[in-house]
Amino acid sequence: MSLPGELPADEPIVAPAVTMSSLSFEVSSRVLRPGAPRWWWIGFGFSFALFILLVIQLAWLFIFGIGVWGVNIPVAWGFAISEYVWWIALASGGTIISALFHITRQPWRAATNRIAETMLLSAIPCAGLMPIMHLGRQGLFYWLFPYSSVMGVWPQVRSPLWWDFICLFCYILMSIMYYYTGLLSDLATVRDLARSRFKQIFYGVLALGWRGSSREWRNHKIVYAIMSAIMAPMVISVHSVVGLDFAGGLTTGWHDTQFPPYFFFGAVISGTAVIVMLTIIVRWGYRLQDVITQYHLNAMAKVVLVGSLLLAYAYLWEAFGSIYSSDIAEYTEYMHRMFGFTAAGFWAEKALVVIIPQLLWLPAVRRNQTMLFLISGGIIVGMWIERYVFTTASLEHNYMPSYWGLFYPTFWDWAALAGTIGLFLTMFFVLIRLVPIVSMAEVRDIIEKKKRGEA
Amino acid sequence: MTNPARDYWRSLEELADSPDFAAVVEREVPRFRDVLDKFDRRQFLTLMAASMALAGLSGCGPEPNPQQRLPYVEAPPGVVPGRQRYYATAHTRDGYAEGVLLAHEMARPIKVEGNPDHPASLGAAGAITQASILSLYNPRRAQTVVGPGQISSWEGFVAALYRRREQLLKKRGEGLRLLTGTITSPSLGAQIAALQTAFPAMRWHQWEPLHRDNELAADQMAYGRPVARVFDLAAADVIFAVDSDLISAAPGWLAYARQFAARRRPDETGGKMSRVYAIESTPTLIGAKADHRLPMRPVEVAASVRFLAGAVGAGPSQWTEIQSPHRDWLKEAAADLTANKGHALVHAGREQSIEIHLLVELINAALGAHGNTVRLIEPPVVSPTLHLQSLSELVGDMQAGKVDTLLILDTNPAYSAPADIPFAAALKRVPFSVSLSLFADESALLATWQVPAKHEYEAWGDARAFDGTATIQQPQVRPLYGGHAPSEVLAVLQGNTQPDDLTLVRQFWQRQQGAGSAAEGNPQSLAGDAGGGQTGPQSSGSSQPALAAAEAFEAFWHEALRRGVVANTAAPPLTLTPKAGLAEGLRPLPLGGEAAIDLLFRPDEGLWDGRHAENPWLLELARTFTRLTWDNAALIAPATAKKHGVKTGDVVAIATRYGATKAPVFVLPGQAPDTATLWLGWGRQAGALAEGVGFDAYRLRGAAEPWLARATRFEKTGETYRLATTQGHDRVAGRDLIREFTLDRFNNDPEYVKQKSKDVSLYPGYIYPDRAWAMAIDLNSCIGCQACTIACQAENNVPTVGKDMVHFGRIMHWLRIDRYYSGSPDDPDVAFEPMPCMHCENAPCEVVCPVHATVHDHEGLNLMVYNRCVGTRFCSNNCPYKVRRFNFYDFAAATERPPESWNPDVSVRGRGVMEKCTYCIQRIKVKEIEAERDGRKLRDGEVVTACQQSCPTQAIVFGDRNDSHSHVARRKATPLDYVLLDDLNTRPRTSYAAIVHNPNPAIGKEQS
Repeated sequence: MSLPGELPADEPIVAPAVTMSSLSFEVSSRVLRPGAPRWWWIGFGFSFALFILLVIQLAWLFIFGIGVWGVNIPVAWGFAISEYVWWIALASGGTIISALFHITRQPWRAATNRIAETMLLSAIPCAGLMPIMHLGRQGLFYWLFPYSSVMGVWPQVRSPLWWDFICLFCYILMSIMYYYTGLLSDLATVRDLARSRFKQIFYGVLALGWRGSSREWRNHKIVYAIMSAIMAPMVISVHSVVGLDFAGGLTTGWHDTQFPPYFFFGAVISGTAVIVMLTIIVRWGYRLQDVITQYHLNAMAKVVLVGSLLLAYAYLWEAFGSIYSSDIAEYTEYMHRMFGFTAAGFWAEKALVVIIPQLLWLPAVRRNQTMLFLISGGIIVGMWIERYVFTTASLEHNYMPSYWGLFYPTFWDWAALAGTIGLFLTMFFVLIRLVPIVSMAEVRDIIEKKKRGEA
Repeated sequence: MTNPARDYWRSLEELADSPDFAAVVEREVPRFRDVLDKFDRRQFLTLMAASMALAGLSGCGPEPNPQQRLPYVEAPPGVVPGRQRYYATAHTRDGYAEGVLLAHEMARPIKVEGNPDHPASLGAAGAITQASILSLYNPRRAQTVVGPGQISSWEGFVAALYRRREQLLKKRGEGLRLLTGTITSPSLGAQIAALQTAFPAMRWHQWEPLHRDNELAADQMAYGRPVARVFDLAAADVIFAVDSDLISAAPGWLAYARQFAARRRPDETGGKMSRVYAIESTPTLIGAKADHRLPMRPVEVAASVRFLAGAVGAGPSQWTEIQSPHRDWLKEAAADLTANKGHALVHAGREQSIEIHLLVELINAALGAHGNTVRLIEPPVVSPTLHLQSLSELVGDMQAGKVDTLLILDTNPAYSAPADIPFAAALKRVPFSVSLSLFADESALLATWQVPAKHEYEAWGDARAFDGTATIQQPQVRPLYGGHAPSEVLAVLQGNTQPDDLTLVRQFWQRQQGAGSAAEGNPQSLAGDAGGGQTGPQSSGSSQPALAAAEAFEAFWHEALRRGVVANTAAPPLTLTPKAGLAEGLRPLPLGGEAAIDLLFRPDEGLWDGRHAENPWLLELARTFTRLTWDNAALIAPATAKKHGVKTGDVVAIATRYGATKAPVFVLPGQAPDTATLWLGWGRQAGALAEGVGFDAYRLRGAAEPWLARATRFEKTGETYRLATTQGHDRVAGRDLIREFTLDRFNNDPEYVKQKSKDVSLYPGYIYPDRAWAMAIDLNSCIGCQACTIACQAENNVPTVGKDMVHFGRIMHWLRIDRYYSGSPDDPDVAFEPMPCMHCENAPCEVVCPVHATVHDHEGLNLMVYNRCVGTRFCSNNCPYKVRRFNFYDFAAATERPPESWNPDVSVRGRGVMEKCTYCIQRIKVKEIEAERDGRKLRDGEVVTACQQSCPTQAIVFGDRNDSHSHVARRKATPLDYVLLDDLNTRPRTSYAAIVHNPNPAIGKEQS
């Protein structure tokens, strides 16, 4: 059945007018042009201002201590941890689009994977910064490394935090390598098209002497496929381990076996949503409507919808487990979450993440970029609220009623959030200015295949 | 305060007020802390000028001690770092002594413990007593003698007072007045008596804001003389408490609490328990522990006591014909009391009216309590006086200009006088007034001479306990900030220009011993025996007996100091019967009942009458029922709150005939309706740590209504005020945290009582072949006094954090007392639950720490390695008992406290690390090392945790669980023993004994 307004099945992934050389020229010119467009400067300026706020926040935090935030006993984890989960979920979304859909051979991924990976790369430092800022003694975070110290003390391998640390560490390294591997041939294209000496050298060094021989291409394909094959399960495991940070805890509302997939579902939806938003911006800003087409947005909107349904399922189980179980502590905690101090957040999150995205069933909504942008934005906000409610509400109504407490964020909590958003956007803007924002190699592949009538 | 020199000093103090800096300078050059600070040019010149001025004044402050103290070059034998030595002395509360031992480390006192040999302590020490060590070190103590209009010196003061003395001698003391608090000190009493002889026209006034006037007046009516009572709760099968402070504040409360709890451990007493009834207007500790409790308005309390008197035959029987919903309850209680004649006891708190005190006395007489559960004795107080009358006479004379010399010794009437006795205004009319005080308090600032006092732990003195037992107080440390004892000030008036408290006290006891051996020793004649204040060392008699006497005295002196009590000084019982016909002579009860709010004035648990308002430990101590810190509030019942449309945190305007104030409301379950309890001691204007913290309830208190005043106004203002409480939720919310049974159930159905443990595991448990440390806490014994919380704070260097941080949820107490309510909010059951670390065997905190900062040791202790902690705080999230505390800021460094006052055996934690109860591991290790050195096993009871040591009721027991004969193993073997949140399988080492109630079956269901 074809719904009214549904994209026809033969909707092109790449506009027919795009040829291999026009593609290379179009994409590279965005990087090689002197100066930057006005929208870029506005965006970058705003982002950098927020980034400065992060620097100030960090200084304040390091000078005065973790007390500047609203964390307390019992709510010892606040914004930092919920935002860590939030950032890592956004980052994971990038990997899902680029790696998972690479190995499942989704052709539409080709034009968006660079945006996804750029987003991933920008989100990762934000995610990595959060748990370090969150420590009581930030300078000693390296004690989580399994290094042979003179004290002969090793990390505690039973702690989910340590698993998390290791996962995150590997994930960061892998993501950077994966990004760079995919970028290599495009950097070479930019190098070849560059006119100025400086740019030739700059991109030449980055391209690592890529010459485009068929042997290089073959090796590259193999390496890239292997990396995708590693990255795809890795992103699932990373986010599952983030879930274990909570599930491994003996805390009401956290101690739940469904968390690993639950958290992964959250990553799918929030990661895709943020890519949708960034894609819309970049597509509009760089006028790449021919390369990034309706097809892409339509496909990603469907992924968002699937993520929303998956999450709805997880939410149902969470509610069922808490209400049906005979554990009074679980029950009172869930009631607190639904109807207590965090009630507004709880319902807002459900509306933004589950209910409103159901609009995406309608093809008209999926085609409407404004709607798509707003829904995606809502999902990202909703997911942030979800992490926040989930982290704090459980701690607020713990096992010990005498030590129930509430979490009130301070200015510096908000500054940390705004500041990391600044860091994220600053990095993103810098990267889209410096590197080709569409994977030329992969899009060329699609054009080539189409020429041969394969796609 | 228009005096220029004083302002000049003040501005100097403002120049240098950085706390770090002040601490350093304080330590290094205590008198010059005002000199150094930021140096811009202008300030530099100012400071240069100040330095010049100070150089000129350097001769005026406390003298550098002629006996210079130098650090040890070769340590004397016995002083070993890390090894504590104990010295006995006494801490006084309302003048009554509580014997203490001060733990010294490298010759400085660091911790207060109870003196097991002292009858008022029996080894325990209350929260205020525990906190006194911090007051000793308080850098805000008064340090400078201030004369009229200028900084002066002790010598300057002595000269001035001596000149005054010459004039006074000519007038036979006309115009000379002494104003003191309650004095139990025999030597001070003798000194005052000697002064009275020297200055026959002198008058001695007493003012203690928490006086016991009503009791005294009732005794005057009943016996025609003052008496004191010693209760024997061990012999009391039925206790009836009327707003009673018997186990919370009455002199001897620590001992009473011990006896009380011992009768309420059915597992140790063969299934027997005392039964407690309580009627009260505001929750008390004994009310919380009562088997039957009724909250009622003061007027109903009076009617109920009359009913009781009528029912037990102590009053007219028509008193039993009252209309009251509680009539049946009272009838059954009266029947229970009558049935236990000779083993029953009725006690009324100090705040009750003269009539209630009188009736209680008559009821006790009728119940045969005298000689059995109540012992009447000669009052330990020197010259019992009606304080209100005494103060109002003084102020009247001051206003009339009859007073030209006033010595205010260790009392602060400018703050604490009733609102209708204008002491502060009258003080300005006294040309020569002296205030000897620990802090520059309200009275000191108004007096012409401010003389810093010695802290009790710096001075020689003596004091009596509730039963008359005397203690000679010995100084624990050279005066840290200068200062002088009251005896020294009085000695100046006696003509001694170089008084020395040691000589004064010693000479007094020398005379006593002399007189005692001559007259076969009747120690009770001490107070009456005025003696000559000026008698020098004994010189009479031949040398041989004198030498023997001197030796005997040395032995006595040494023994008295060593034990902390003077042997055989307890007062013998008096046999008295109340006069007949007293009850019948009482006026009929006024008809109360209209909907006015009764204001009840009560001492604050921590600040007491306000004198501890400088002590951060006591300010931050969560009050037993409200869990409120850093503030007082008007405590009202839920029904009253509804009636006035207010909730906790709303500010109300309260007025009485005497004054008005604004106060935040706190809704307190169990408070009687239409009453508001106001804690005294807050809203200090001077001499406190946080001046103006809380509101000053003294402004509402009149001389005619010292404890109970009718509010003329009690209205919501619309303002709100932020109160910082420490407890999140008042009820157990369905968890099995408090287990309660009736005595009947305990005796007849032990299987039901026993916790059904779900302790099953596929994995073998850890083996603890050596020792397995464990703690047992008896909830039935815990009275919620919070001595343990402060003991833990003192022992383990737990920092205070301040009101904002408490509000944020960052209080640091390692040991807290949870207070849970059950039943209706109007009259709930209260349960107290001390919460130290549980030291779980399957500790959830340990597995989640990524860096091994919290680990298990081979004796089952859950250790916290501060140095290793990076501060992920996962351990705290994972602790179901929420006993972990985190240093969100550098709380310890921010604490205004001299470095030498911290316990050197315990690490002071820095910013960003987690901390928690360690079972006092430092104490365990000391004893382990001792045992190892002696090549023996540790004995049971050898290791005592700080909380256990201070607990008046012995609710906390600590020891080796592996040793089946140990006290802790025996406690854990009772069917009452249970662990918290058992189904989480954390296997805590800290277990609890369930609460057992002993309700009167005839009252049955009515029990609230």
